Amino acid sequence: MAVNFEKLISDLVTPLVVHPEDLVVKKFAEDDESLTIQVLVNQDDLGRVIGKGGKIANAIRTIAYAAASRLGKKINIDIDAF
Amino acid sequence: MRSIRFEAKVMNDATVKYAADELKINKDFVELNVIEEKFGLLRLNKTFVVEATIKFDVVRDSIKYLQQILDNMQLEAVVEAKIVADHEITFVVNTSENPILIGKNGKTLDAIQTLLKNFINLFTDEHYVVLVDIGGYKEQRKKQLEILATKTAKEVAKTRVEAKLGKMNAYERRVIHTKLADWRDVTTESEGEEPNRCVVIKPKNK
Repeated sequence: MAVNFEKLISDLVTPLVVHPEDLVVKKFAEDDESLTIQVLVNQDDLGRVIGKGGKIANAIRTIAYAAASRLGKKINIDIDAF
Repeated sequence: MRSIRFEAKVMNDATVKYAADELKINKDFVELNVIEEKFGLLRLNKTFVVEATIKFDVVRDSIKYLQQILDNMQLEAVVEAKIVADHEITFVVNTSENPILIGKNGKTLDAIQTLLKNFINLFTDEHYVVLVDIGGYKEQRKKQLEILATKTAKEVAKTRVEAKLGKMNAYERRVIHTKLADWRDVTTESEGEEPNRCVVIKPKNK
């Protein structure tokens, strides 16, 4: 069973942003235990994706973490603007 | 419902994008209606008077969003949504693998609820209360907490020594507070900082 993490995260984030065309979700590094995913959004959308006190960002991380735990992996998500 | 009116020379993707920028939402949720067509001098150039509104159905779109998350996690799920009261919506989710979706102490469940609440309140002006339950977890947890609250409160009333319960999230603390609100012998208080905030049951002075 393969979970497509890029799709999972981009589907989570897309409705929240005003500039979906600037959204980039990219797998950064992957090995047997861990996976790093980079999320780049437009500067104006950064606040929405992170949320107050990182609430939304942490919720996204928790959901990705749950999906990854079935495969026995750890997942890291970097959220940044460019 | 938020809406804006503006004039446009042409109707195309750029018009939708402009409206989305002004309303500060994703363009997939923008609906444009032409109110009026204005013609310039000699009927050469025409402009549209456009009204842009947010196209969002609370129940339908939020189920779609939630279902999409679950599909992407490769979980087969049944999602039901119900508007219980004014601005209060509950979701009942049942999947083949509930424990994964609930997480430790309901952590993943809370994350889903936070995201869904944020998603809904982004598109509506009214503030919605959003509750998500997975496989009856919350209901069961509430019963457990109520039993714990009653048991501890009886103990406190008898010994008159305050008791501190384990760390809980806001919803769980609320369950305890409401359960013990009308007790004569004890009062409840929350202490500490998130995420280690916990309820303290104290004997009431007579």
